[in-house]
Amino acid sequence: MMEEIKQAILEFAETSKKSKFYFKDLEKAVQAKIPDAKMRDIKKAATELVNEEKLIYFSTGSTTMYGLKGRGITEDQ
Amino acid sequence: MDFKAKRPQKEIKYEELRIYTDEELHNYSEEELKDFKIKHDIPMLEELEKGPWPSFVTDAKREALRRKKLPKERMMIDPDVVDDLLGQLELSFVDGETHWKHGGIVGVFGYGGGVIGRYSDVPEKYPSVAHFHTLRVNQPASKFYRTDYLRALADLWEFRGSGIFNMHGSTGDIILLGTTTEQLEPLFYDLTHELDQDLGGSGSNLRTPSCCIGKARCEFACIDTQDLCYELTTHYQDELHRPAFPYKFKIKIDGCANGCVASIARSDMSLIGTWRDEIRIDQEAVRAYINGEIEPNGGAHSGRDWGKFDIQKEVIDLCPTGCMTMEDGKLVINDQECNRCMHCINVMPRALRPGVDSGVSILFGAKAPILEGAQLAVLTVPFMKAEPPYDNIKELLEKVWDWWIEEGKNRERLGELIQRKGLPRFLEVIGVPAAPQMVKMPRTNPYIFWKEEDVPGGWKRDIKDYRLRHKR
Repeated sequence: MMEEIKQAILEFAETSKKSKFYFKDLEKAVQAKIPDAKMRDIKKAATELVNEEKLIYFSTGSTTMYGLKGRGITEDQ
Repeated sequence: MDFKAKRPQKEIKYEELRIYTDEELHNYSEEELKDFKIKHDIPMLEELEKGPWPSFVTDAKREALRRKKLPKERMMIDPDVVDDLLGQLELSFVDGETHWKHGGIVGVFGYGGGVIGRYSDVPEKYPSVAHFHTLRVNQPASKFYRTDYLRALADLWEFRGSGIFNMHGSTGDIILLGTTTEQLEPLFYDLTHELDQDLGGSGSNLRTPSCCIGKARCEFACIDTQDLCYELTTHYQDELHRPAFPYKFKIKIDGCANGCVASIARSDMSLIGTWRDEIRIDQEAVRAYINGEIEPNGGAHSGRDWGKFDIQKEVIDLCPTGCMTMEDGKLVINDQECNRCMHCINVMPRALRPGVDSGVSILFGAKAPILEGAQLAVLTVPFMKAEPPYDNIKELLEKVWDWWIEEGKNRERLGELIQRKGLPRFLEVIGVPAAPQMVKMPRTNPYIFWKEEDVPGGWKRDIKDYRLRHKR
């Protein structure tokens, strides 16, 4: 299950219109593919992907978004 | 209650972690400072040094001078960083707009909060602040520090950052202002491994919980605010460091309704110490106040002669609910009507004390004026016991989070969601019955829409018949 969720997250991260997205958008995209995926599992999967350095956090200080490493702005701007 | 750490505590010898000696840091004279010019012209900023108030510009100049005189090889980022910071700020004043870019990919490994990326959009002019990232450091409960800890932290920040601090941010954290991307991981390592000091929250996550001074030094505290703050901070580490909320979420804890951390105005979940029995009255002490033997307000207004203490004028007549009277020389309080304004207790702390059956009132939804206007929190749970391990509070909080995560829009604070969906919906979700205490004026503003099943016997309403007489 966890691997499926991770795969769904990566697919969304690769194909989403914007290169940075809110957690909520991520959650909706995963649940469209895996309807019984729970929010907490999606968060765990996203955390694992961050730890595997496949996803990155993008933060303005007030809001945090997720992004795919290597897509859009990834280095120091 | 004694402090019980959640994990083994190591003894830290902060003096051994010092990077500079005090002599090295006290490396300029006031005379030198007077003649000192930073490398940019900053006439508009220097205007801020005039007048009676201390100025951050003067503070920054001191730091710029100190860094000029510290050996270069003993600072990991450019010694000119403060000069360039002031230079860029002057430019922003001239242009009337910021020269910081908005946001960025900065963090430390495994954390989604605690580091806020700041990049200059004029790095060619001010190269030392091309990267100028902020770190939030989780303050200890009630912000008690040892000076040797602060010296060690300040040294570390001089070494790996700009040396500029902000004590404290609105959320309560120690704010370290300005370092480069390369320094983030080493700094994080030193903070956590050497100083045993975690980062705080930033971004769409639980922000560092904060509390008032509590039972540590305050006789009014109805609950152990520090213990509750520590418990929530440690229990919700995942929520604090790995953001998955629609937006920020702040928890603040006041020990009593004096509200020294102003949780009611500044936090999504505000916990305020209260009691549900009666205010304790020492009638002898009341008489001593009346006879002028004890100074009112703990002597706080003794700088001027305000005349003899008048309990009627200064306490009884000022009670917002009129629940106090003097009967046969004794002070009588109708506790049912007390709304915890704290005035009488503050004026006569030797005579009046909060009750002993204590707990918290819980309010939700305060926020500052971004997106919608500022709003105060709404009283949701008039009373709840607050005792370790605080499972009742956690259970309530998690219900609120579940609803907000599910229903909240991106960048929508809890208070905005409650407004959008309505207070009755919020109460339904968390399973709390509506109560008059939730409403400012319950007799004139019913506020709650009753549902048929809420009313014994229900009601019949023919909408067609109604529309015959009332057009849309």
